[in-house]
Amino acid sequence: MQVTGSLKGRSSRLIRSVNSLVGAAMFVAPLLALLAIWAIVVPLFNVNPRVFPSVGAVGAAALDSIRDGTLFAHVGASLLRVGLGTLIGIATAVPLGIAMGVSPTVAAFLTPLFRFFSVLAGIAWIPIATLWFGYGFGAIVFVIFNAVFFVVAYNTLLGVRTIPHTLRNAAASLGAGRWALLTEVLLPGALPNIVTGIRTGLGFAWRGLIAAEMIATNVGLGYMLFVARDFYRTEVIVFGMIVIGVLWLLIDRLLLVPLERATIERWGMVRRA
Amino acid sequence: MKTLSLRNLGKTYFDPYAGAHVTAVHDVSLDVEPGEFISVVGPSGCGKTTILNMIAGFIPYSKGDILLDGKPVHGPGPERGVVFQSFALFPWKTVLDNVGFGPKMRGVPKAERDRIAREYLALAGLSHAAHRYPNELSGGMQQRVGVVRALANNPDVLLMDEPFASVDAQTRMTLQEELTRIWQERKPTVIFITHDVAEAVFLANRVVVLSKGRVLDEIAVDLPRPRVWDDLVRDDHFKQLSARVLQMVRAA
Ligand SMILES: Nc1ncnc2c1ncn2[C@@H]1O[C@H](COP(=O)(O)OP(=O)(O)O)[C@@H](O)[C@H]1O
Ligand SMILES: [Mg+2]
Repeated sequence: MQVTGSLKGRSSRLIRSVNSLVGAAMFVAPLLALLAIWAIVVPLFNVNPRVFPSVGAVGAAALDSIRDGTLFAHVGASLLRVGLGTLIGIATAVPLGIAMGVSPTVAAFLTPLFRFFSVLAGIAWIPIATLWFGYGFGAIVFVIFNAVFFVVAYNTLLGVRTIPHTLRNAAASLGAGRWALLTEVLLPGALPNIVTGIRTGLGFAWRGLIAAEMIATNVGLGYMLFVARDFYRTEVIVFGMIVIGVLWLLIDRLLLVPLERATIERWGMVRRA
Repeated sequence: MKTLSLRNLGKTYFDPYAGAHVTAVHDVSLDVEPGEFISVVGPSGCGKTTILNMIAGFIPYSKGDILLDGKPVHGPGPERGVVFQSFALFPWKTVLDNVGFGPKMRGVPKAERDRIAREYLALAGLSHAAHRYPNELSGGMQQRVGVVRALANNPDVLLMDEPFASVDAQTRMTLQEELTRIWQERKPTVIFITHDVAEAVFLANRVVVLSKGRVLDEIAVDLPRPRVWDDLVRDDHFKQLSARVLQMVRAA
């Protein structure tokens, strides 16, 4: 029994790692194909570098920006803004979402506001944010916060609502008070939804970030694209676009997806449609 | 241990869809002695769950009193443990942490509540599952956890609402035998709700028959313990008692 059990475990682990390799290959293949087409088409038609750069020019731009450190300055600035805006967003949205989840009155009162503001969430706030916070850090963090806040609060509300009422009763009849109910039942029960909300919200925030940085700052990935445009540096623009895409994929695949999996699958709380 | 008394207990719901009041429990009086095992049977809709939820404090009652050692109870509390039909285990906690939840709420330090939880898990033959999550267990095992989680909190009264209704018939019989064994060892006061007459008789010292929100009749069960199905299915006295309860329920 023991032996077959562990053999089974090992072979299923093997199958899983083969599967994830195949998955990664299937993810990368179309990107490589695109790269190949780019490498062939640009020299073949002798494309004007002011319209679209060659692979080599983008590679050189990448090396330059790494060597002189500007890449890290831009990436660092962008990540700091996203990180801070997201943290503030989560810290304020989760308590509000829980309050809405436990109190139908609060939920009923706030739902119309949420409907309205979630349409506006993100870049529509950039102009007024720059009036409030000036051009720079504060305005951009506010835009990020805004993109994260509504999605996370709404998902927290959903998460609390999906907790079966018997679980709250069970906790109460085991002696849980209000605080324990919050920390032991409502928060962990809503966590899978909260993580999903964070993942969605960060997706909005990332797009909002690039837009805000084009308008409201002098450092960051969005700014890097915007300035390069003024000098017809298409190779810098394309390189920046690649960095923006790759960074997001890394954040999503290496941080958010594992987090989502850890909470949802571990507890068997997957709610398959 | 404390005596539980229901005095002229009644519950009227307002059904917002029908726009009308529905009286689920009319007038129920019952005294439960410490260490007694009481089964409450009755056809579906006769108010069993409503009574249990009022004792548990999950819903307020409309009239009468619920007294624990003479003091009225309102709202849920750890002196009234509950075992749910849907198990209601915390999916994000291991079996060990589920069972240790009550002691944790009392402020028992981690090492001590783990010791308590392990002791109770051993009682239910679940020591090997301590570090698993509920969704990794069969329904029967989950409900064993549900039972010992309530017991580990040392309640004065254990309230069980059709706890074995959602497991298969074989497992149900095993769980019933285990419950009588655990009850004999620990002698908790139990109110066990069921619509299964044989189950009610098998487990209890006393069977209370409910009908349309009222106590119809009750019957003492003087079968010797330990009780096991292999013996009782052939036992004439068990058959007689079950037949009498069944008659009452069908007349209900
Ligand atoms: N929340 C509620 N609102 C309105 N009516 C209810 C509610 N809960 C139960 N009832 C009614 O009360 C009666 C008793 O229900 P219940 O206590 O669940 O019975 P049992 O557990 O014996 O099947 C039923 O007629 C049921 O429809
Ligand atoms: Mg019921």
